[in-house]
Amino acid sequence: MAVSTATQASSDTKPAPPREWRRFKFPESLYRWGGVLLALVFVSYSIIYLNIPLDRFFNMFGRVGQLVADRYYPPEIDYVLEPDYLASVFDTIQMSYLGALFGMLMAVPLGWFGSYNMTPSRRFVYPVARLVTMSARAVHETIWAILFVTILGFGMMAGVLALTMFCIGFAGKLFAEEIEAIDMGPVEALRATGASELNVMAYAVFPQVRVAFTGIGIYTWDVAFRAATVVGFFGAGGMGWYLKRNILQIETYRVSAILVSIIVLVLIAEGISAWARARVAKAK
Amino acid sequence: MSILSVRDLRVRYSASGPEILKGVSFEVGADDFFAIIGPSGAGKSTLIRCINRLVEPRSGEIVLYGTDVLALNSRQLRKLRRGIGMIFQEFNLVNRMSVMDNVLSGRLGYVGNMVGLFRLFSKEDISRALSVLDRVGLSDHVDKRADELSGGQRQRVGIARALMQDPKLLLLDEPTSSLDPKISREVMALIMEIAKEYKVPVLCNIHDVQLAMEFCNKIIGLQDGIKMFDGPTSKMNTKKLDEIYAMEVL
Repeated sequence: MAVSTATQASSDTKPAPPREWRRFKFPESLYRWGGVLLALVFVSYSIIYLNIPLDRFFNMFGRVGQLVADRYYPPEIDYVLEPDYLASVFDTIQMSYLGALFGMLMAVPLGWFGSYNMTPSRRFVYPVARLVTMSARAVHETIWAILFVTILGFGMMAGVLALTMFCIGFAGKLFAEEIEAIDMGPVEALRATGASELNVMAYAVFPQVRVAFTGIGIYTWDVAFRAATVVGFFGAGGMGWYLKRNILQIETYRVSAILVSIIVLVLIAEGISAWARARVAKAK
Repeated sequence: MSILSVRDLRVRYSASGPEILKGVSFEVGADDFFAIIGPSGAGKSTLIRCINRLVEPRSGEIVLYGTDVLALNSRQLRKLRRGIGMIFQEFNLVNRMSVMDNVLSGRLGYVGNMVGLFRLFSKEDISRALSVLDRVGLSDHVDKRADELSGGQRQRVGIARALMQDPKLLLLDEPTSSLDPKISREVMALIMEIAKEYKVPVLCNIHDVQLAMEFCNKIIGLQDGIKMFDGPTSKMNTKKLDEIYAMEVL
């Protein structure tokens, strides 16, 4: 009753002013706009500092078309069908496969030790495992390749090791994150039965991450394959070597043929990987 | 004759945090079905997890079958834990494993690393698992995945897993809270029968006072980490319940 009389009374007089609300109150609103402004200033400063000629950047597209038409077309497809080159493609595939396999064999224990919830020791093992994974990740695969070529000499072994390091960094981090996201209930239950930590991993953790690990594994191979096409550039085996040689010899039609072959192979690898990951996700 | 005695148990989760248990003491006898009741946040789950040291108490004493629980090293602790079955509110089964594997995992405290890892359980363990599954009424669901079962069935798997441990003590942490009233009563009745058959004492957290009065022979009332009541169910009355929950319960 009281409510209805109140509305009655207010409608008799003039309507109430619309009520206001702002998502960001005064000091925050200032910080937010200030932050956006700072970012813009920083970007323009970098462009000026690095002396990037933006006009040349916009002219680039026309020049790319002309360059490709003049020097890189038509690609010398016969060259990439030669047995020597095909053998190097086969080498590259095997290199990526071995690198991904070895890398993941190392990444599984590193993922375990480097996951905050399941690590055997938060004070010692966890930081060491994180450091190893991060170092493997911090160094680019081409630099690993140069490093291993220097130590081991030219050839596939350096390439496989470079890819192994790359996969440790790549998969180790993803595995650890996956383990950190599990439901800890079964872990508690199995610890309560007196099971060893290894068996707790095998029974309570592994079934929860198996599908995700398989997906990450396939994805790791896919990324390793792309990296494998490049490590050869530094003498670590595979098709990258042919790319480098032909670039140095200015055999541009061969270079474009090789680039086309790399794109085709990466597309195929990506297709296989997407198909396999979809299958695994459905397999429960 | 008491099989478990707890003295002046104190728990804090961090040095500066609040004290969760403020000096709780009690004794459990060989054929007790003990209920721990009390409002949310009273420390019921913490208390029960101290018995098998899933939670480490700051001070106090726990003696189980003559063993000083708090003095054990990690190897001895695992040996102790395998003799204590535990049943959980959320069942804590491994959903992506079969019912059989979940039940067999109760045996992991008794087998070596490799036997567990490659699932090379002995014929005795397997036949034991099958008869335990018969006992809890799940013989038709042996090969199903745990997440295909209903709530009541999952808790029965939890009970079967605990029985695989050949337990000398059962710890139940709100075993019926995720179940409807009818299934809750069935599950409690099953646990009570099994406790009698296997002659196992039971320590059970439960917030449902009616179920506690119906199935348990002794009750501890906790409020805010302090024991407010300890005695046989017959001595419990409405006035004391009101005091424990600081409100009118029944």
